[in-house]
Amino acid sequence: MAGWQKLGLKIFLEEPLRADTQEFIPAFHSWIQSQAVDGHLLIDVHDYSHVHRGPGILLVAHEGNFSLDQADDRPGLLYHRKQNLDGNREECIREVFRHTLLACSRLESDPVLGGRVRFHTREMLLLANDRLHTPNSRETFERLRPELTQALSRILGRGVFSLDRVEDPRELFSVWVRARRSFRPGYLLRRFN
Amino acid sequence: MITWKEHLGTDIPDELGREIDIFEMQMELRRQGKLDEKIFAETRLRRGIYGQRYDNGFRHDGIRSQELPYPSGDVIKGPETLWDAPGMMRIKIPYGGVNPRQLEMLADMAEEYSDGVLHVTTRQDYQLHFVHIDDTPDLMRRLASVGITTREACGNSVRNVTACPLAGVCHTEAFDVSPYAKACSAFLLGHPDAQDFGRKFKISFSGCREEACGLASMHDMGAIAVVRREGGRIRRGFELYVGGGLGAVPHQAKLFDSFLPEEELLPTAQAISRVFARLGEKKNRARARIKFLVAKLGIDEFRKEVLKEREIMPPDERWTAYLPEVPEFQETAVRPPAALNGHQPPPGFEHWVRTNVYRQRQAGYAVATLTLPLGDLSSWQARELAQIARRFSGENIRTTVEQNMVLRWVSEADLPELYAELDKIGLGAHGAGTIVDVTACPGTDTCKLGIASSRGLAAEFRRRLGAKFFQLDESIKDLRIKISGCFNSCGQHHVADIGFYGTSRTIKGHKVPHFQVVLGGKWTENAGSYGLAMGSAPARNIPEVLERITGRYLEHRSNGESFQDFVRSVGKKNLRTMLQDLLLVPAYEVDSSFYSDWGDPREFSMGDLGTGECAGEVVTLTQFNLASAEQLVFEAQIRLDDSDFAGADSLSYRAMVEAARALVKTEFLDVPGAPDTVVSEFRRRFYDTELFFDKYAGGKFANYLFRRHGSSPQSPTRDTAHQSVEESQLFIEAAHACYERMAREISGVR
Repeated sequence: MAGWQKLGLKIFLEEPLRADTQEFIPAFHSWIQSQAVDGHLLIDVHDYSHVHRGPGILLVAHEGNFSLDQADDRPGLLYHRKQNLDGNREECIREVFRHTLLACSRLESDPVLGGRVRFHTREMLLLANDRLHTPNSRETFERLRPELTQALSRILGRGVFSLDRVEDPRELFSVWVRARRSFRPGYLLRRFN
Repeated sequence: MITWKEHLGTDIPDELGREIDIFEMQMELRRQGKLDEKIFAETRLRRGIYGQRYDNGFRHDGIRSQELPYPSGDVIKGPETLWDAPGMMRIKIPYGGVNPRQLEMLADMAEEYSDGVLHVTTRQDYQLHFVHIDDTPDLMRRLASVGITTREACGNSVRNVTACPLAGVCHTEAFDVSPYAKACSAFLLGHPDAQDFGRKFKISFSGCREEACGLASMHDMGAIAVVRREGGRIRRGFELYVGGGLGAVPHQAKLFDSFLPEEELLPTAQAISRVFARLGEKKNRARARIKFLVAKLGIDEFRKEVLKEREIMPPDERWTAYLPEVPEFQETAVRPPAALNGHQPPPGFEHWVRTNVYRQRQAGYAVATLTLPLGDLSSWQARELAQIARRFSGENIRTTVEQNMVLRWVSEADLPELYAELDKIGLGAHGAGTIVDVTACPGTDTCKLGIASSRGLAAEFRRRLGAKFFQLDESIKDLRIKISGCFNSCGQHHVADIGFYGTSRTIKGHKVPHFQVVLGGKWTENAGSYGLAMGSAPARNIPEVLERITGRYLEHRSNGESFQDFVRSVGKKNLRTMLQDLLLVPAYEVDSSFYSDWGDPREFSMGDLGTGECAGEVVTLTQFNLASAEQLVFEAQIRLDDSDFAGADSLSYRAMVEAARALVKTEFLDVPGAPDTVVSEFRRRFYDTELFFDKYAGGKFANYLFRRHGSSPQSPTRDTAHQSVEESQLFIEAAHACYERMAREISGVR
């Protein structure tokens, strides 16, 4: 299971974004005040909005970071797991989806953002933050594809998505998950239950 | 499951690999509570692993101080520093020089272990934030595999050796100081004479006197290149300064030698280190930098001490071994030299060239500066930049103390294309070295000592000034702004035209972030003079303070008057009067925005201030050496558990020798490491004199060493190896006890 515990998932924002990225700062601070994210010790908020294709606004937690990521010039919520997840690969993927969807859902209803933020799941980016055990190669992709397909089928539905690897070998092992239709984070969360 | 250590194998240089293995073992010892927390704190600091804000397990969330219950519970990595709390990793880069492969590795490290951002510091280092200590051994191994060490990036040690980013290509330099900076850095790294300082020691190299260059005047030791004609040949040397420094009490460095020949550079640096270690303050951390020692002794007396030390130091061939290679220290360009060809440049190019390009001494080549906002770049940018550098600049990337990066040896004809490529990755901003290129330390973002948000204010300045940059008068454009989050001056506010440092005031029970305004510092002439403090204004008013000062300068300066001259001629009193209304704070009920800081919506609090680690922990050389002995005996125990009896016995013996050497060094600093010499010196100084004797056991523990030194077992068994480990442990305990008795006697005498 090595290299599979530190996963990341980015769910993109509907554009044009109607909220200013700076407004995410007080939103994230309020999450810390109430330690609002289950299973996470929320620590601090960091403004990296000046960094091109950087983490944007970053909410640091012990278990994993949440950021209003700007990579590929497309804003989205990136959950980046830092502490190891328990379970098999499928369980790890489900857990990362759950945390990311929960955070998206929370942002959509956050009073600071006033309902001006919407996410879509037509396209998502799943990544593994471990170059040693999960190098970004065709072999890794072929090896993991069956388990990825199985795990994502249970989350999104069978046969409704495609998987494509990000081919730049310098990047982390990353897979585009493209779904035939977009579900709202809340809907997918209900399917988890 | 394969590890990075196995994967990298021989790519990690032996010595660095061994050091990292030892550190990993020390981490385990600390987790088990077998290594003192202060010793471990200084140990990790000397590996570049620094504490970060909130690592004491508390954070003020704007309403109350909230406990952060990390899973590691009360396991600590230093006094009041919780194990699981995120920390900072400082990566020292001598003279700021990296190659593309190294830059790519740094990018990967930021992405995998930090937050995806590389931060360039005001001393040409890189910093990663929010790093877990458990990740640091692999992080260090991966850096070591590309020739980077984090050793002595923090703690009471010789910090990163900095140098002018234009060294070697500059029009005004006497000669290229890069190879000297490199040699000095390598020579003092881990040098035994540089391990017992009361505080850090910063060295810089400059190629000339007039420019800002290496900022010699504000360094513990600043070397400025000079040449002298002797008997028809040019001789290289350095104008050497000591005892400079910023901090709360800035000192201008004093001239130590107007011409120190190049062959004397390293021995003199070593002799200065020995004097600093021997005579520098150790107890009062606020007065432990060498500037206080130089001020206390006076430069003449200090010089005498150094020269005396220089006389008695055992010769070292490394002092001059590098000199034959100096003339060969040459960077190579990847493209032929060529002038700009007159083709239509891309939009924005002209502005960029004006502020970000320096034409090299070598015709047809230029240095391009990459303006990094707040010193930050993303992992993605760093990887792309490495590719761009390979194409246009080769191996020649450096960081600057203004938190930027430079690409050197760019063919001038390539500048338009280079600009277009940089612009694509968000690194084509103009304005390097101008008023929009604001320098700021981490401040309250991540620093435990930060009082106000230096980065928040810098971002606000960038936003406001950037929007009207082209409307600004040239005299204003060229001013430099530098911001520190507190009086410790990491943002180098003393040497800015307009500097700020964070303070706090209490208004009717509410804390208000403030910045002290410091005007008229001189960046050129190697940080030629320091600015004057004008008064503290609330953070919210600081942009208006800047407007007013620059406006007044523009209106009232006489023909061509420099900003420094303007500040002097107007005078502190008048300047303060001019700012008077901006120093006032409205009541909380009237405008609560004054009660939070730039970029941080929380109500301002001083509750998050922690104990800084800039000063490191005062751990004596003896304590360090005894800790090394303990680490060896711990390793011996592991070998014993693995049934490697010969290894366990050998390590136990080495641990005793190391502990004995630690004691001998208190009297004989240069004792060689050969066991025969160590045991003989130990016997003469500590056994024959009965200094080592235990009140009840007498010389019993010393005899463990003598017996094992006299005869090593042919084929150790589990039992004999076990006995060796036990005896070694007892010997080390006795050595600790002996050292404590000595320390008590010394303090009793005092």
